[in-house]
Amino acid sequence: MLVDIHSLGVFSRLAKQGSKQAAGSLSRMTGVDVHVDVTNISLLSRRDLSDAFGDEEYVGVEIGFVGGLQGETVLAFERDSSARLLELLMPGHGGATDPAMARSGVKEVGNIMTSGFIDGWANHLGVSIDITPPTYIERSGSELLDVQASEADDQVFLFESRLTTPERDLDFHIYMSPEYSALTELMAAHRRDDDAIPVDKLSVFNEMMKRGAEGAATHVTSMTGIETTVDVSRLSFVPIADAPDYLDDGSHAGVVFGIEGLPSGYLLILFDEPSAVNVAEALLPMETEESGLGELERSAIKELGNIMTSGFIDGWANVLGTSIDHTPPQFVHDMGSAIMSPVIARLGQRQNYAFMIDSTIETAENRFSCDIYALPDERELVRALEALGPESGTRVGTDADEVV
Amino acid sequence: MSESAPGAEPRLVRVGVAEYEVATGDVVLSTSGLGSCLGIALHDRSAGVGGLLHAMLPAAAEGREAHTPAKYVDTGVADLLSTMVATGAEPGRLRAKLVGGSRMLDFSDEAGRIGDRNAEAAEAALSETDVAVVARDVGGSHGRSVRLDVSSGDLHVRTVTDGESVI
Repeated sequence: MLVDIHSLGVFSRLAKQGSKQAAGSLSRMTGVDVHVDVTNISLLSRRDLSDAFGDEEYVGVEIGFVGGLQGETVLAFERDSSARLLELLMPGHGGATDPAMARSGVKEVGNIMTSGFIDGWANHLGVSIDITPPTYIERSGSELLDVQASEADDQVFLFESRLTTPERDLDFHIYMSPEYSALTELMAAHRRDDDAIPVDKLSVFNEMMKRGAEGAATHVTSMTGIETTVDVSRLSFVPIADAPDYLDDGSHAGVVFGIEGLPSGYLLILFDEPSAVNVAEALLPMETEESGLGELERSAIKELGNIMTSGFIDGWANVLGTSIDHTPPQFVHDMGSAIMSPVIARLGQRQNYAFMIDSTIETAENRFSCDIYALPDERELVRALEALGPESGTRVGTDADEVV
Repeated sequence: MSESAPGAEPRLVRVGVAEYEVATGDVVLSTSGLGSCLGIALHDRSAGVGGLLHAMLPAAAEGREAHTPAKYVDTGVADLLSTMVATGAEPGRLRAKLVGGSRMLDFSDEAGRIGDRNAEAAEAALSETDVAVVARDVGGSHGRSVRLDVSSGDLHVRTVTDGESVI
């Protein structure tokens, strides 16, 4: 199955517009500024989809859509934020204390927001999409989206928009998972041939990331003596301007380096400040007098970052079977979103969207965690994946020759 | 466009990367993560209109479409200006403040100067339209977040190491 960057861009833009419409409706209903923070498209397996939302408890609305596009949309609030939302919608009614009213409030919000979202798609695609009546849901993260895929390894597309408000406790998500074949047919209709990506091979990029992160994690363990695990999150296609929103404004320390060759791109290995303090403590032989990240701590993290970089590069190169050139890692200690700023500016000179994949190195008892972000040059990623033999794709099979 | 009822808490409106917002009244426009990106705040005190742009790059490559004009300083400033005028600001009364454009990473190539080029592009675009730049907190090698108080025109700049200042 082939999709191309152009059609992914069209679909991403539709999702963003739909989310903005939905956010606008909610802003008008509540009087609170609702901002569309992140819109991304992920390709992930049914199994990973179940894991994607963790153990959080959600309330929300599920709405199915049929016609030109089939699937389902879930508007989900973390349970705690739904009470606050209802208070805004129905001031004085103590929204959440009356379950029936709470349900109807959530359904109303869901209905209005989802219609705005789906209408944008239908208009652009020139197809008719009907929506089913909203169903109020209370579900755990693992069951949030009940995607009809027969096998755990089947791939699904997930559209996700994160909506935030100035009130920290009132953030929520719109998830949409169209039926795979219906979506890929639509994508094929919007396809341009010059930059088609064999979707099945994108999993190779996940594999590169996983092996790279494992390489980096091995060095963290050997230097700190603390056991680590690696968690690779899904590969996402995001408007490049949204990438900084994956990091918050809090202080982060770590290294950034560029990869040269096919594909070229940027890697960020970052510890949030509390993690940086804890990892420095594990690296340094004795306690320092300064609290937070002093000179000694910074230099310890810089050193660790250099070593993690080489571990990462080794793992990445093993998957590709070639050596990889890279720039010297540069130490950074600044607000996370600002660290991402020069990276997106560089990539943004040639592209409006980015494939982004992130991976987390974690320890038992949360002593520290480290996030690794990879943002390759999209056209070079396409060429690199094309250059891989069919045996490199983990899910290629008979689909390799199929032209949709 | 955002506005807020008098007497209430200022309404906080976020401006994302490659976006701009214009507001009147008791509103605070905020944007974060300005590294090499540039924040351009415009304010007309008499009309009580403020606007904030978060631009990534100095100018769209020639011949390339710019369906996200706010991504670029040149097209973003033009759009921001016309929205502000449509909201009641007068070009002759507008004052500009620039924040960001730092050199966070040094890959020693032309692209490494994106921050400088963003600031230069903003000075040029504003000078062409006769908008005075009255304050600057640009360059260096650190990130910044800003909040524009639309009622006063004060621009609050926050960094990780130096805390907050007002320009």
